[in-house]
Amino acid sequence: MDYGKTQKQLYMVRDVVYKNLLESYMPLPVDRVACSGWAKNIPRSGPTVLYTSYMYQLGSVFKSYAKLLERFSGVKFASRFASLGGLFVKPNKEELERASRVLNNIARLLTASGTQVAYLHEEEPYSGALLLELGLMDEFHEYGAKLFDFFKDRDVRRLVTVDPHTTNALFRLKEYVKSDIEVVNYLALVKPSNGTGRFVMHDSCLYSRYLSMGSGIRKTLEGAGVSLVEDRMVTALDTSTCCGAPVESMSEDLSERIAKARAAKLTSVCEDVLVACPLCYQNLSPYVTSIRDIAEVVS
Amino acid sequence: MSGEWATALNRTLENNIPRLDKILSDYPYLEEHAERLRRAKSSVIARLDYYTKMTCEAVEKSGGVPHLAKDRSEAQRVVGEICGSDGIVLFSKTNVGLELGLRESLLAAGHEVWETDLGEFLIQLAEDHPSHIVQPALHLTKEMVGRLLHDKLDRSVSPDSSYEDLVFCVRSFLFKKYVAAKVGITGANAVAADTGSVVLVENEGNIRMDTVVPSIHIAVTGVDKIVPTFDDAFLEAQVQAAHAGLYPPTYINITSGPSSTADIESKKVIPATGPKEFHLVLVDNGRIRASQDSDLKDALLCIRCGRCYFACPVYWTLGSDWSPPPYGGPMGAMWSAIVADDTKPASLCTHSGGCKVVCPVKIDIPRVLEHVKSLNSKR
Repeated sequence: MDYGKTQKQLYMVRDVVYKNLLESYMPLPVDRVACSGWAKNIPRSGPTVLYTSYMYQLGSVFKSYAKLLERFSGVKFASRFASLGGLFVKPNKEELERASRVLNNIARLLTASGTQVAYLHEEEPYSGALLLELGLMDEFHEYGAKLFDFFKDRDVRRLVTVDPHTTNALFRLKEYVKSDIEVVNYLALVKPSNGTGRFVMHDSCLYSRYLSMGSGIRKTLEGAGVSLVEDRMVTALDTSTCCGAPVESMSEDLSERIAKARAAKLTSVCEDVLVACPLCYQNLSPYVTSIRDIAEVVS
Repeated sequence: MSGEWATALNRTLENNIPRLDKILSDYPYLEEHAERLRRAKSSVIARLDYYTKMTCEAVEKSGGVPHLAKDRSEAQRVVGEICGSDGIVLFSKTNVGLELGLRESLLAAGHEVWETDLGEFLIQLAEDHPSHIVQPALHLTKEMVGRLLHDKLDRSVSPDSSYEDLVFCVRSFLFKKYVAAKVGITGANAVAADTGSVVLVENEGNIRMDTVVPSIHIAVTGVDKIVPTFDDAFLEAQVQAAHAGLYPPTYINITSGPSSTADIESKKVIPATGPKEFHLVLVDNGRIRASQDSDLKDALLCIRCGRCYFACPVYWTLGSDWSPPPYGGPMGAMWSAIVADDTKPASLCTHSGGCKVVCPVKIDIPRVLEHVKSLNSKR
C-alpha cells in the first residue's frame, strides 16, 4: 500500500475541508441554490427541519472529493482553493433530478406520517461527516459546536435526517456538544404503505451496524410490500460489508475494488439492488445494472 | 480482489462462516464465557503492573524463570541468551515472536530455526509474510502449497497432490527436527497470574511436541495475555478456539514450570521426562503505554481469533498489504499502532463495522481505529 500517497491525500482533504467548513459551512464552494431547488414548496423555517446535508444532491461530488481537490492541487493549494469564490461546483443535472424525486418523496412520506418539516434551503450547512469518518476528531468537534450553534440560532428543535452519514455524525456530535436539539432519521418516522419490487438489500454500514436500524428498515420495507431476498453469506449483519465509499478520499483504487467485489456478491443473490444511502448508490452504481434507493420504491 | 488471493479467501470464508455458525449454535455457553473473559482481561489491563508481578512470582514458585522485556531488542537479547550459541530451535507460530523478529535474530546467531505450525512453516519456506493471524498461509491455495513443497522440500509432491499428502510431507520433515531440537519457543493464548501457567490451544500437535520434547521451553508473549486466574486462562482457550473456527480444539496445552515428578517419596524433582527449563518472557513493546490510553486500551482485549479479518472488506481487498506483519486485518490496524507506532493502516478503515459485530470480546474496533486515525492525522 502506498501510504505516502494516502497521507498526502489525508492532509490535503483535512486542510481544505476544515478551512471551507469554518468559513462557509460547506466543504467546497457549491451552487447551493441548485441543490435546494427540489424544495420549492417547503417552508424555510419551523421547529422541525428536514436536513439533507446535500448528500443526495452532491453524492457524486462527495464520492470523488479527493479527485476534485487534486484538480486544484499545487503550491498553496488550500488557500487557492478556498479563495476560489467565483468557482461553484455544479452538481450533475441528472443527479439533481433524481435527488429531487427522492427528497420530495421523503417529505411526502413524513407529511403522511404526521411530521411537518421545514427546510433551510440554500442556507443549509454540511454536517461535517467527512471529518468524522477521516478521524479528524478535533476538527469535527470544533465544527460540530459551530454547527449546533447555527441550528440553535434558527430555533431548530428537531432535525430529521435522510442519510446514514449525517445521522451518525449528528449522534456522535451530541456525545460531545451539549444540545437539546433532537435528531431523528426519517426511516424511524415514516410508515409507507405502498412498495414494489424484489431486491437484495445492501445495508448501510452506519444504519445497520452502528445505529441498530437494520431490522427496523427491513420491517418498514416488508410492511410496505417490498420483497427482500436474503443470503447468509451476503446480507447478514456480520457478512454484509461496506460499499467502499468512505475510503474514497484516501484511496480511489481501494474504494473501487471494494465496490466491485460487493456488487458482485449482491448481484449473485439478486440482480436488483436496494440501498439506503446516497453514497452507496454512487459507489455501487458502476457495477450494478439495477439499483434503487429505498425512497424510490416506497410511497 | 483477484486471482489466487480471491480463490483462497473465498474458499476460506465458505468453510469458516458456516462452521462458526454451527459451533456457536451447538455450544451456547461460549457467549457467556466470552463475556466473563472480557471482564477478566479488563481487570488485568486496569492493573497491569500488579498482575505482571503476580505472574512472575507464580512462575518462580513453579520452578520456571520469568523475564520482562520492554522492547524488541531486549526480548531478542533475553531469548538469545537462553538459546545459547547453536542448536535447533523450533517455533510454534508465536505472533509475538514474529513481532519481535526472534526467528531472524536466532538465525543470525547461527541457530537452525524451524516453524512447526503448518501454515507458518509454509510461510517460512516461501519466505513470505503471514496473511492471517490464525491461518498465516491463507493466501496460498492448495495448488500453490503443492508447488512450494515440491520446489523446496519433497519432489514427490506436486500441485495435484491430495491435501493429506501435502500435510504428511511436512509432518515427515518436522518429526526429524522435533527429536533433535534443543529449544522450543511458543507464544501463549493466556497466562494465569495466580499459577503462572501458560495455556496454549492448537489442533496440529506441534505445540505439544515443541513444549515437551526439547530440553528448554520458552514461552514468549505480551503482558496483555495475562488473565487473573487459571480458570480464566481456560476461558480464553475455549473462546479463542471456538471463534478461530475449530471447537473443541484438538489440544489444550498447559505448562506450569519445567517437567517434574514427585513419584519417589513425594519429593518434587525437576526435571523429569520433559523440559528441564521453562522460561516465560513477558513483553511490553508498547502494550503498557496502550493500557494507559483510554481510547486505545480496549485493543489489548484482543484474543487473536482472527474473526475480524473475515468481516472486513479492506482486508478482503488488500490482504497482507494492509498492515505490516504479523498483525493484519482490523486488529492489525489497531496493533500496528501499539507495537510499531504505525498509525497509517488505520486510515484505510471504511468503518464497515463487521469487525465489532463478530468480535467475541466486543472490542469496538472501529471506535479504536477512529482514535488511531485521529493520531495519524496529527503526524
